[in-house]
Amino acid sequence: MSVQLLVSGISLGAVYALIAVGFAIVFSILKFSNFAHGGMISACAFMGFFFQRMFSSPPPFLITVLFSALCGVVLSLLIDTAAYRRIRAKQAPNIYYFLASITVAILIEQVLTVFFGKNLYGYPNIFKSTTFTIGGIRFSSMDTLILIISLVILSVLIYVINRTRIGLAIRAVAINPATSRLMGINSDRTILLVFVIAGALAGVSGVLLGAKYSVYPTLGSSMMMKGFLASVIGGLGSLGGAIAAAIALGMIEIILTYFFGALSIPVFLFGIMLVFLAVRPEGISGKFAKDKV
Amino acid sequence: MKKTLTLCLITMVLSISIMGCAGEKDAGPEKQQNGTEGSVADGKEENAGSEEPIRVGCIQDTSGGASLAGQPNQWGAEYAVKVINENGGIHGRMIELYSRDCQNDAEVGVTCYRELVDEVGVCAIIGPPLSNPASAWVELSEEDQIPIVGHFMDEVCTTDPDTGEAYPYMFLAEPSCSVQSRILASYAMENLDVKSVATLFNSSNAYAAAHEAPFIDYIESNGGQVLARETFTWTDTDYTAQAQKIASLNPDAVLLCDYCNQMVTSYDNLRDAGYKGIILGANTMYPPFNELVKNDIEECYFVQNYDLNNGKIAELVGIQQKETGTDYPTSNVGFGWDAVQVLANAMMQASDPANGQEVRDILEADTREVESCGGSKITIDPATHRPTLDMGIYIATYDENKQVKCLEYITLEQ
Repeated sequence: MSVQLLVSGISLGAVYALIAVGFAIVFSILKFSNFAHGGMISACAFMGFFFQRMFSSPPPFLITVLFSALCGVVLSLLIDTAAYRRIRAKQAPNIYYFLASITVAILIEQVLTVFFGKNLYGYPNIFKSTTFTIGGIRFSSMDTLILIISLVILSVLIYVINRTRIGLAIRAVAINPATSRLMGINSDRTILLVFVIAGALAGVSGVLLGAKYSVYPTLGSSMMMKGFLASVIGGLGSLGGAIAAAIALGMIEIILTYFFGALSIPVFLFGIMLVFLAVRPEGISGKFAKDKV
Repeated sequence: MKKTLTLCLITMVLSISIMGCAGEKDAGPEKQQNGTEGSVADGKEENAGSEEPIRVGCIQDTSGGASLAGQPNQWGAEYAVKVINENGGIHGRMIELYSRDCQNDAEVGVTCYRELVDEVGVCAIIGPPLSNPASAWVELSEEDQIPIVGHFMDEVCTTDPDTGEAYPYMFLAEPSCSVQSRILASYAMENLDVKSVATLFNSSNAYAAAHEAPFIDYIESNGGQVLARETFTWTDTDYTAQAQKIASLNPDAVLLCDYCNQMVTSYDNLRDAGYKGIILGANTMYPPFNELVKNDIEECYFVQNYDLNNGKIAELVGIQQKETGTDYPTSNVGFGWDAVQVLANAMMQASDPANGQEVRDILEADTREVESCGGSKITIDPATHRPTLDMGIYIATYDENKQVKCLEYITLEQ
C-alpha cells in the first residue's frame, strides 16, 4: 500500500506541477503571481472541448491539445494587452499586476459561468482503460500522461531558457529590463514571448485537466491554490523548483489524507508554506526572487 | 485637465448605461407579465389589470458552485409563474417574480433576501435547493412574515434540530435528505443485500452531510456495519487517498452524496482504486453524471425525484432544454415548478394572497395533495413543514446505454 500511495502522490503532484510551471514562468520575468492563469486554464478547457465536439468523430487528442495551446496563446496576449501592458508602461508597483491578474481571473470565470454555467462538459475518454497495473501497483493512465507532459514541458523550457539566445534574453530581462534594452534586447517582445509560453501552457493544462476531471468554469481556479503553493515552496520563478515542490505536495497530501483524513491537509500544507516563507523564502530552488506578490 | 474631463465623461456614460440596464432588469417581471397578458387575450386582461400584482421573490444560485442546479431551478419557477399567469393568475392577480442570485453563499443570500423584502416588497419567496443560504433565512422570514417554499433538503432548514419544532415560515416541497437517504439505505439492505458500507463525502457541504448522517444511522440501526466515513473539503480536487482506503476495506456499498462534479471524481477515484462493489448515490447522480465519468457505470444505484421520461416533468424538461440549450434533462426544473405550485396553492386559498402570515397559515395547515410535476402529490406535514411520508422517491440506475432507468418508487411509509 505504501508504494501505491507514493505512486498516487506523484500522479497528483503531476497535476499540480502543470499549474505551478505556468505560475513560475510568468513570475520568473515579471515578478508577480499571475492568478489569471486559472481563468485561462478554464477558458482553454472549454475551447478545446468545443473544438473536438465540432467533429462527428473527435480528432486525435494531440490536435485538440495543440488547438487549445494556440487559443491559450491568443488569450494570453489579449490579457497582456488589456490588463498588464499599461501597468508595465507606467512601471507601476507589482501590486497592480496582482490586482489586475485577480480581476482577470474573476472576469473570465464569470463570463464562462454566464455562457456555460448551465452545463457540465466531459471530454471523451482517451484511454480504453483509466488505469494500468505494473507489478501489482495501479497507475492512472491520465495522471501518467500528465506527468510525462509536465516533464517534457519542463525539459523543453529549461533547454530554451538556458541554452538558447531567446532564453538568454528572457534571463536578462528578468534581471533588469532597462539594462537589457541598453544591451539591444527588445524587452517588450521578450515579455510577450513569456506570455506566449504561459498561454500555451494554460492551453495544454486546460485540455489535460478537462480530460482528467470535467469542464466547468471554476476548473482552473479550483486547482490554483495547490499550484500556487507549489510555486511558492519550489521558489517563485523557478521551473524545476515548482515541479519538485508540486510532486512533493502531491505525495504529502495523499499520505496525510490516507492516515489523518482530508480535514487536516490544509493545516499541514499551509503550515509547510509558512515555514518555507519564514525559514527559506527562496524555496526549494534556493534562488531568491526579490519581489513576491 | 483633459484626462480628468475624459474620465468624468466615461464615468457618466458608463453610469447611464448601467442605470439603463438596471432599469431594464427591474422592469423584467412586468414585461413578462405584460407579455403574458397579451398572449392570453381571452378576456382575463381586464380582471388581471384591476388589482395589484403579487410580488414573489426567487433566490437561486445562478452563478456559484451550484449554478448547475440553480439555473434550471430558476427556469422551472419562472415557467410555472408564466403558466399560472396565462391561466388568470391568483384570482385574477398576476404574479411578478423577482429573481436574485445567491451564488450559493449564505451572506449573499441574506443580501438578496433583504433587497427582495425591503426594496422590492415581495410577500413570499421561492427558495433554492441549497441548505446553506436557506438556513440563514430562518429567523429573518419569521421577523418579516415572509413564507419561503423551496428545496433546501437539509431538515435543519425546516425544523429546529434541538426541539424538533417547525420553523414557522420555512417549507420544503420534496422529501428531505434524511427521507431520501433512508429510502436509499433500506433499498440497499433489502434489495441489494448490502451489509457493510462506507461513505465518501464533503463534510463542509450541508447537502452532503445531511444525506450521510441519516444513511449511516439507518444502516447501523438495522444491523449493518460502517467500515469507513471518509471526507473531503471544498478545496480538494482529488480523493484518491480516501478511495484507496475504502477500496482496501472493500465494503459492500459506498455512498456518494455531493454535487455532480464531486460525485464524478469520487466515482472515478473509487473505480481507479480498484473498488468493484456497489456505489449508491444521492439525487445528484442523475445526468450529466453518466456523460462525465471516465469509468464504466456498473453497480450504481441512486435516488431520483422524478421519472424524467414520463408525465408533466418530461414536458417541462423538454421545453427547458429547447429554450436554454441545456444538453441534458435535469430534475431541478421540476423543483422550481413544484415550489411555485405549492406556494400558489396556498395563495389561491387565501383571502389576501399577498398577506405573508395568512399564506403561511394555509401552507402549514391546508397544503394537501398538490400535484407535483412528477405525478405524486405534495401534502405538507404541519408538524415538520415537509412533505408527508407518502411522498416517495425513485430508485434509479443506469442501463447498458448509460441511460437512467427508474427501478422502483419507494416511500418511507412502505
